[in-house]
Amino acid sequence: MRRRPLTAALLASVLVAAIVAPAAAQAPPDWSEAEIRLVGRHGPWPPPPARDPSNRISGTPAGIALGEHLFNDVRLSGDELMSCATCHQAGRDWSDGRALGKARADLDRRTPSLWNVGYSHWFGWNGAGDSLWSQSIRPILDPREMGGSRERASRLLREDKQLACGYERAFGAKPDGDDERLLVDAAKALAAFQATLVSPRTRFDDFRDALVAGDREAASRYGLAEQRGLQLFIGAGNCNACHLGPRFTNGEFGDIGIAFFVRPGEVDSGRLGGLAALAASPFNLLGRYNDDASGSSALRTQHVRRLHSNFGEFRVPGLRQVGRSVAYMHNGGLATLEDVVRHYSEVSPDRLHSDGVPLVRSLGLSAGQSTDLVAFLRSLDADPPPHPAPPPLCP
Amino acid sequence: MKLLAVLFALLFANAAWNPARADCPLDLGRGTGLVIFSDHYMIAFRPDPLRIEVGEPFALVFNVCTKSGSAGELVVVDAVMPEHKHTMNYRPSIVSKGDGRFRAEGLVFHMAGHWEISIDVRAGEEIERLTHDYYIK
Repeated sequence: MRRRPLTAALLASVLVAAIVAPAAAQAPPDWSEAEIRLVGRHGPWPPPPARDPSNRISGTPAGIALGEHLFNDVRLSGDELMSCATCHQAGRDWSDGRALGKARADLDRRTPSLWNVGYSHWFGWNGAGDSLWSQSIRPILDPREMGGSRERASRLLREDKQLACGYERAFGAKPDGDDERLLVDAAKALAAFQATLVSPRTRFDDFRDALVAGDREAASRYGLAEQRGLQLFIGAGNCNACHLGPRFTNGEFGDIGIAFFVRPGEVDSGRLGGLAALAASPFNLLGRYNDDASGSSALRTQHVRRLHSNFGEFRVPGLRQVGRSVAYMHNGGLATLEDVVRHYSEVSPDRLHSDGVPLVRSLGLSAGQSTDLVAFLRSLDADPPPHPAPPPLCP
Repeated sequence: MKLLAVLFALLFANAAWNPARADCPLDLGRGTGLVIFSDHYMIAFRPDPLRIEVGEPFALVFNVCTKSGSAGELVVVDAVMPEHKHTMNYRPSIVSKGDGRFRAEGLVFHMAGHWEISIDVRAGEEIERLTHDYYIK
């Protein structure tokens, strides 16, 4: 048997590799039926408008208009220097462009974006709020944030002619003398407005719809790196265990290995503290300000349980518009999406003690896989249209 | 296929346990239900709504029957993901509807995958746990 010279064999191998490898790298991934089903669950987008049965002016034009005016009104704050819009800016994806929040004091957590907030069921990084309106009360009263009061909020609604008129249109009655109720009503208007902040459709949504419809041509417009990243997201990465559904979140809480300490000797207990605050709040959904007579909106609050494992857990954020953030994690500790992917690739199992198969584990991603995952996550971003100024309340 | 399995379970349950049959209706009102057994109990249950969605609250409707014919009580309903060894983030409440019927409210499967539903019942002093595996996609 005649043997080919080694150099010739090597040359042939190299040539074959040079021809085949790029073609393989450029070939669109195959999508199994099971994968298509999983991708389909991340849509359609946008969902129907959010409605909150615990808020009787949710979804009403008059309630939304009043809420937007209040959202931009610095008079809700104690020193009349800050409004909700100071930290939740339309031009900064309804956040503040900072790693950590800064109001009247420096804060320990990142200011979350308000995109799609109306579809949540727990609010704040620790879930201390069980409705968007109750969550909207917290920063108004918190002395570190707006430093306002129920008296200030109610006086504003009673004494400002435009706001009083807007209130009457939204609630069907003039603002009365019950300060606490007026504070709650102001928060319900704020919630009605915030629930309208729905992020735009993205390139991912076009791909998702095309894939589900079997439109290969339209699906092929989605980048190959993005497709590979998506396969990783729903496959080996198991990211969709928590980042599921059209908003890419299950709305619950997890410990993903971020440091507990906010400064030496002081920890952020996360969900554990949030549940304590929820139980103590007179504005939770078990209280008298819930407008939902059926009681169904309070089911989670009624049944939520406080577990030791809640310590160090924080809300699983949605991932739409994720690439537009200037910092990541509840403490703003990671600067880029690349850092986030690196975190999940290298997270220490020692930090994430688990009795069973851990949900968060070191993924050990290659450089290429990390790039693909970031490419997919960036495909969840889209430029929103400019946000118009609110119409006058009572022209 | 799933429906066939459920129907089979219903037929099998009725055939295998004649003494309780007359007093233990296994149809829970929607023409379907799941049945689990032990030496002492037969329990029919179904979710409400029938389709459980990840992250959405649901209830379980029960009919608890005992082989002895004595009154059975549903004591605790819970669920864990055995693989990850974590419970639900919510603790269901139980309301008796009379005649062995119960409703457990406030369950939420917050992740897709394998959940083991545990059903603690008693008809006297001793509590017995029956389990059922549920896979949610």
